Amino acid sequence: MNGPRVVFDHVWKQFTRGERHDSLRDFVPALVKRLTGRTATESSQAFWAVRDVSFEVREGEALGIIGRNGAGKSTILKLLTRILRPTRGARKVEGRTGALIEIAAGFHPDLTGRENVFLQGAIMGMRRREIASRFDEIVAFAELERFMDTPVKRYSSGMNARLGFSIAAHLDPDVLIIDEVLAVGDRAFQEKCQERMRRFRSEGVAIVFVSHHLPAVAQLCSQVLLLESGVATTIGSPTEVIAAYCRQAGAETYDDVTVAATLRASRHSGEVFDVESGERLKLDVALDFHVAVERAKIGIVVRDQTRDLYVYGASSDRVGIPPIRAARGETKRFTFAFDAHLTRGLYAIEVNVVDPDRHRFLAVARGIQQFHVVEQVSYDGVANLYLSGAPSGVRAEPVAIAR
Amino acid sequence: MRRLREDLHEIVREQIEFRELLVQMTARDLRLRYKQTIMGFGWAIFTPILNTLVFSLVFMRVAPVHTEVPYPLFAYCGLLVWNFTASSLRFATTSLTGNTNLVTKVYFPREIFPLAAVAVSLVDFAVAAAVLAGLMAHYHVGASATLLLLPAVLAVHVAFTASLALVLAMANLFYRDVKYLFEVILTFWMFASAVVYPVDAVHGTLGQLIRANPMTTIVEAYRRVILYGAPPEPVAFAAVAVFSLLVLPAAWLLFHRSEFRFAESI
Repeated sequence: MNGPRVVFDHVWKQFTRGERHDSLRDFVPALVKRLTGRTATESSQAFWAVRDVSFEVREGEALGIIGRNGAGKSTILKLLTRILRPTRGARKVEGRTGALIEIAAGFHPDLTGRENVFLQGAIMGMRRREIASRFDEIVAFAELERFMDTPVKRYSSGMNARLGFSIAAHLDPDVLIIDEVLAVGDRAFQEKCQERMRRFRSEGVAIVFVSHHLPAVAQLCSQVLLLESGVATTIGSPTEVIAAYCRQAGAETYDDVTVAATLRASRHSGEVFDVESGERLKLDVALDFHVAVERAKIGIVVRDQTRDLYVYGASSDRVGIPPIRAARGETKRFTFAFDAHLTRGLYAIEVNVVDPDRHRFLAVARGIQQFHVVEQVSYDGVANLYLSGAPSGVRAEPVAIAR
Repeated sequence: MRRLREDLHEIVREQIEFRELLVQMTARDLRLRYKQTIMGFGWAIFTPILNTLVFSLVFMRVAPVHTEVPYPLFAYCGLLVWNFTASSLRFATTSLTGNTNLVTKVYFPREIFPLAAVAVSLVDFAVAAAVLAGLMAHYHVGASATLLLLPAVLAVHVAFTASLALVLAMANLFYRDVKYLFEVILTFWMFASAVVYPVDAVHGTLGQLIRANPMTTIVEAYRRVILYGAPPEPVAFAAVAVFSLLVLPAAWLLFHRSEFRFAESI
């Protein structure tokens, strides 16, 4: 099949806010009111959770959907999984659809792990024979061999999630819809889940992935859609959209000082610089003071955007810049330099101005510049420690044989 | 007309796709009852036996009625049949609202919930029927060739119950009062269904009303086929059969078309 597996064509979804008539007690008076001509103003309570969203996902593609809480991500997932129906527009999902949403939703606490595997498998649309033939694999993947005859209510939440993911991972889907499942289990299991999802993708499964976990989105997805209040504001490459999201998330205002900063690197494209790991980067900072300041200092912070990690922070007073004294309306310029000994990924620079006497920020410019580190060796982590290695030529020890 | 065909097609396709889920959900509910209660399947026979004792006391000692077979046998057979409908509908009413997690989070045909409630009660029905066989042996009432008509009676009974199960589950999702209202109606309905007394004992308009109740016809049909060695009353039973077989697809279609509103309304 060459057409897209998942199509969202100008989809709108409206909800009614507030109380509906959940009981006849409320409904009967409302009905009487309507019949006697006094109309209720219910339409004012309606709001659009998803507005005019369109996208397509083909075989082997993965679309990430990011956005703040309440932006409409879950609604889109429910529309995709047929739980909800669009108010306007059309959605099409072709082939067998696996949904990793609330992967343990079908579990019953009083049933054993084994019984729940069959139940949950059936809920996901698997045949009993299919589940039976993959049962051992499912259990091994979840690492729960010893607990299959224990009621699920005795499981930890991590065990629960592991079993849920494992069942879903052994479904044979054409389309996979994933919601935040990677936030479960320990680190090692998360790695395993991500690995499994990458394999799904390489096997030609079309994936829609909703997550707050930006590194996972960046790793898995071929395109990312940013949702804001139900509107798809940006759709594009993971790096660009994640950068846009982080800029939007960090928009706080401290307006005593206006900060302008320019990064200088050997190469750049658009708003994001491509930087070799270890490259020396220069940052020109200009401060427009709107208040008079006696002693201020500048903080330079580097954050890992995809992992949402504070990587580095240092301030002007530690590098020999004397306390900054400025009159109102004055502009001061500085140049900083640092070496990007970082692993591959997207990083953002924050420049802040602090008044140490009054213990307050005069300015916080989050994500004022961003850069993308290119590097081939590491697979995880932030600091580049430049691993190298070679066989050391030691002869193999002869194997002792018991007599 | 086209939409109707598409919807019917979808209903059938989904049922085929998820055919094993109905079995799994039924098994889930049976297992749970077995695990959560000490009596397990004992409950399936406990209720009709106890009720039979109570009504035997009333209708043999206090206000004796004439029945073609010994009264306990007569009453147990009626209660057994009635219990299947009553417990199916009682479970079905809360089957959607009691599974909020599944209804709002995972997609599969929601018909599974009320239908599993009917299936669970059907298993109880079968278990309790064993006691009926015991009672028949005790009172030396033998079955005759009319027992061959039992599958037809059962089919009509199940279709009738399933249609109501679908409607009630849906109604209770939209209006939670339905559960309470239904409990009240259920008691009233039992006495309006000639379960514990012979319908011939009631004369006049009241008798006609009771006869017009489909459950009266169904209960009577079971008794005639199993205990009296007679076929069901042809006209009344044919009417109920046609009614059930028309209502079931209609109820199913109604349910299916409201399905997409469930997650928003629950």
